[in-house]
Amino acid sequence: MSSSKIDILNVVASKLGSKVQIQPGQLGAGSIIVNNGLHRDVLKAMIDADEKTGITAITGLDLGENLGVYYHVHTSGAFVTIKTEVPKSNPKIQTIVDVHPGAAFHELEVSDLMGVIFEGNQPTGHLVLSEYWPSGVYPLRKDVDASQIKMLPPQEVNKPAEDPRQVKIIIGPQHPALLEPEKFSVTVDGETVTKVEPRIGYVHRGIEKATESRSYLQDVYLVERICGICNSIHAGAFVEAVEKIIKVDIPPRAKYLRVVALELNRLHSHLLTLGHAGLEIGYETLFQYFWRDREPIMDLIELTSGNRVYSSLMTIGGVRRDIRTEDIPKIKSVLETLRGQLPFYRKIYNDEPTLRLRMKDVGVLSRKDALDLSVVGPVARGSGVDIDVRKDEPYEAYADIPFKEIVYKDGDTWARMNVRMDEVEESINIIEYVVDHLPTGPIKINLPRSVPAGEAVNRVEAPRGELFYYVRANGTDKPERVKVRTPTFANLPSFLKTAIGESIADVPANFVSLDPCFSCTDR
Amino acid sequence: MERKIEARIQNRVGPMVAGPAGILQPLADLIKLLTKEDVEPREAKKLIFRYAPLAAFTIMVFAFCFIPIDGGSVLSFGSTVGGFNGDLLIILAFATVANFLLFLAGWASCNPYGTIGSARVLTQFLGYDIPLFLLALTPAFFVGSLQIAEIAKAQATQFWPFIFLAPWAFVMFVITMQAELEKDPFDVPHSESELVGGLETEFTGAKLAFLHLTRDVQIVFGSALVVELFLGGPYGPVFFGPSWIWYTLWFVLKVLGVVLISEYITTVVARFRIDQVLSGNWRILLPAALLSLILTVVLVTWVYPLVM
Repeated sequence: MSSSKIDILNVVASKLGSKVQIQPGQLGAGSIIVNNGLHRDVLKAMIDADEKTGITAITGLDLGENLGVYYHVHTSGAFVTIKTEVPKSNPKIQTIVDVHPGAAFHELEVSDLMGVIFEGNQPTGHLVLSEYWPSGVYPLRKDVDASQIKMLPPQEVNKPAEDPRQVKIIIGPQHPALLEPEKFSVTVDGETVTKVEPRIGYVHRGIEKATESRSYLQDVYLVERICGICNSIHAGAFVEAVEKIIKVDIPPRAKYLRVVALELNRLHSHLLTLGHAGLEIGYETLFQYFWRDREPIMDLIELTSGNRVYSSLMTIGGVRRDIRTEDIPKIKSVLETLRGQLPFYRKIYNDEPTLRLRMKDVGVLSRKDALDLSVVGPVARGSGVDIDVRKDEPYEAYADIPFKEIVYKDGDTWARMNVRMDEVEESINIIEYVVDHLPTGPIKINLPRSVPAGEAVNRVEAPRGELFYYVRANGTDKPERVKVRTPTFANLPSFLKTAIGESIADVPANFVSLDPCFSCTDR
Repeated sequence: MERKIEARIQNRVGPMVAGPAGILQPLADLIKLLTKEDVEPREAKKLIFRYAPLAAFTIMVFAFCFIPIDGGSVLSFGSTVGGFNGDLLIILAFATVANFLLFLAGWASCNPYGTIGSARVLTQFLGYDIPLFLLALTPAFFVGSLQIAEIAKAQATQFWPFIFLAPWAFVMFVITMQAELEKDPFDVPHSESELVGGLETEFTGAKLAFLHLTRDVQIVFGSALVVELFLGGPYGPVFFGPSWIWYTLWFVLKVLGVVLISEYITTVVARFRIDQVLSGNWRILLPAALLSLILTVVLVTWVYPLVM
């Protein structure tokens, strides 16, 4: 691993030499500081050298006179950041979507919220902000004037399909197939889908901006509420990033306890999705059975943290509660029961003909598309791309814990659901290992309220994929900038591709296999 | 009954409060719907939108009235056995008309979900009607009559119930009935995850109540038909007292049994896609129904006379 890590920075250095400035160890394996325009060449060099290169996120920063545009790039070994800046008076920069199509959504978001203009990727409407938002007001800038935010008449209308023979069906924002509101305009020719136009942002609450006016400790609870399902993972990612800025190592027992919380989150999330998939294909019984087996996990979360949903276990410097030794047998027995149920579900997925009819060869995502669009999580691992942050860049205690990375090659809905089912088993193994090997010691260390100036990136493996946090501190007790890139945001463009050419009746099944979480997507 | 079965298979308990063990829940739902505000979309075609649910319900009940229970159906026409020759075809035709009215209702609501839902109802129902007719003819061939009452009586006196004599037809008839009643796996017109409410989307209040009623009557109608044609109708052992009490009891029990089978199928499978439903019909079920008919004719004409 470490050899390819140095390789990427070396590759860039050898190709572009003196035109860039490399800072190893900064923001990942290293940062590459470029001037306007060279970011494309750097990215191209990386993609040519390593096919698993992809954009994790694009952070927009308000640096006073300039706007910072940071491209966070993941490769098979290392995670690097390309830093560049544009002046506020002329915030134009060249797009990279022709080099890497998966960057489209990220660029549009930075355009929307920061006001950076990406030449070659002009938005046709807002991506994250509402239609009533006044233009020219960019909420994430430090100098934004709140009095200018007045509701205007909507700037966008629902346009009919271009080809008059085709019909545009609007799925959402309220629709029984979607758990949360988003709008998808699906153009169909008969029963076949020809185009999908998404409109996200219905659940946008401006959490990134809100973090800047709250202390770090308050922000831990704020980011937890970005998502109702993967809540501990958001909190865990945030506190880890802050701990990286402070450059402190937390006690080993705290690390193990964090893993328990994170894996319990993954368990209940996967069981939720597996059940929800049943609903979408009309299999209500499967849904009821999965959720029945999910209930004991919720009880476990309540046992370890006091709450069924927002466990609020994480804090900067460790965890807030310990697991009592007398609780451990109960944890293990619940997990044992769940493990015993899995063969039954595997049998259904393998043998039940109606399920196979609805899920096999539906929503196929080829490995090449998965790499081009930078999909993450079970969506990627279902298409043969073996990325898993717990293995690629182990965090917390994952380096000590033996577990398997689950990869399926088929790329269809069935494969993605199977990835999740096998991950349920792996999570059970991980938790059992952890509670058997809990080190003794304190569960947290006390840290001062103010965080020294600095910046850090952190990636964790949420149930839906790679979750990315960028935190920038300025020496006060409130962060300067927090950027969150959620896995569903990265995976959504793949849905736009896989739905095309399939029947509209397959859209719900295809969609749920993405495991969409719009609260995460919109923040 | 349907809801309790589905719930128990799903590890839940189902309705518990309305009536003993929740039996009266559908009635409670009905009364609730009748008290709700009736909202009409501006674009809907008023006449059809308003009266199609009621018309569908009426025709369905009318068809049901012809189903005889021990010779006495609501509309017996003077013959000793009840009904008249050919009433099997008539009531199947009525059921088709009722379903067509449902299609019109959804179409008249001028809502994209409604129109697509209705179109699917029509495609599915009309498609599966053909095998249904063919399979319903199997018992008719055995008895040599198209009168339901005769078919039912014949199973008690001349033959064994046709479930034993023509089991393949029974199985296929039940499956076809699932499709006619739009139950899983043929649930497409009701698939909430794709089409919100399907053809029911724009209906509220009393109109929705009648749509639901129509569906409920269809379920009982379908099950009763299965019982009459294949399970020997109301006839069964009489222990004491007047025979009509026992015949009614047996009829009810058999209908509930068919509902049990049908609901069981519904609960344990997922939903087919509309194109899978259609290809299943034309490519598999229709040829199978034709074969069944041929087989029946062969058996009736040559084989069974030797055996019986």
